Amino acid sequence: MVGGSSRDARRTERYLDGLMEAAERGAVEAPMDLDLDPAILLAARELRAGLVRVHPSFRFEEGLAARLAHTAGRARVVRNDRPATAAAPSVTPFRLSGVAAPAAPAATRDSFVAPAAPRRLSLAARPSRPLVVGGVGVASAAISIGAVYVAWRWSRASQSPMVRAVRAGRSGRASAFGHGRRAAVLHGILGVMS
Amino acid sequence: MFSSTDVGTRPARLDRDRGLVEAARRDPACFDALYRKYLAQVYSYAFYELRDHHAAEDATERVFMQALTGLPRFEERADSFIRAGGVAGAAPEFPLDASTFRVWLFRIARNVVANERRRDRRRPVAPLEDAGGIAASDDICESAAAREAGNAAWQAVARLPEDRRRAVVLRFVDEMSTAEIAEVLGRSEGAVRVLLHRALRSVAADLRGRLS
Repeated sequence: MVGGSSRDARRTERYLDGLMEAAERGAVEAPMDLDLDPAILLAARELRAGLVRVHPSFRFEEGLAARLAHTAGRARVVRNDRPATAAAPSVTPFRLSGVAAPAAPAATRDSFVAPAAPRRLSLAARPSRPLVVGGVGVASAAISIGAVYVAWRWSRASQSPMVRAVRAGRSGRASAFGHGRRAAVLHGILGVMS
Repeated sequence: MFSSTDVGTRPARLDRDRGLVEAARRDPACFDALYRKYLAQVYSYAFYELRDHHAAEDATERVFMQALTGLPRFEERADSFIRAGGVAGAAPEFPLDASTFRVWLFRIARNVVANERRRDRRRPVAPLEDAGGIAASDDICESAAAREAGNAAWQAVARLPEDRRRAVVLRFVDEMSTAEIAEVLGRSEGAVRVLLHRALRSVAADLRGRLS
């Protein structure tokens, strides 16, 4: 039964394919299978004649076309901006004291600006702010940050009870040691006086 | 346009919209050609599903906006249409002019229409009779006959279950092949074939009852 149904379904499909192809060719009749159920044939023809393609109004079509064009324009602008800001390399000219910076042409995505030939600068024309370059700069920055962090940690009361206990013990030892030294000195002075 | 990656001995034809799609990817302004090409099909699908011109317009707009913004993510998949083509002597089950862009577009349309229907479920649905006046013709008799046939077809289709109706609309209005309908509806080709066959039998019974 399932096999028969599947066979009928395939037969119907072949007829529908033929119906569509005949319509494309402009033919009136489509080739049909004689075993095809006449009721199916009639229904297919009715649907073919009755179910027409609907076209929206011209006003809607043009309005939507304009809105799509607007959206497409925005997408194009975004696409053009993206490589210029993120991917394409840019050259930032140094501000030179005493030397007027050459006017740079506006960079576009497709334009290629050749780098200017290096010029020998006089001492007066050197950059007013010294630059720390490379590893030296990184190392000095790291040391500064480390020192600041250690100072901050020492100045901040710790929440951990263990840390507080260690600090208290250390400060106690220091004060006890300080107290003993002071007593010995006093004893020495008193001994000398007596 | 044939691909070099053949399945079996048959060459697989690539998406017939490939040129337009690539142009639209390079320059979104070129999407207009795809829009003009598929506007009536998408609108018809939405109209037959939603049965209201305004709702169909809204849905159509959403479909094309989503398609435009989602075009960079669209991937042509010719393999989904190449099924059983390698079996010797077997009839080709993939359409030679399969358009994967069209399938992708109609998948968007299906989702948009489903959302629209879900949102407007509480709203009463307008009758389908409005569509009778679509087929315009200078000949009054021809127009009247077409209108009557259209009405009968509309009413018969309107009584079909949802999945059969959708398959019928995609087949008769949008002239899709079984493989394309299967891709759009997310079903197997065999299931779509049986859906269409049963839909035609239902329509035939409906028309017979009307005549008697």
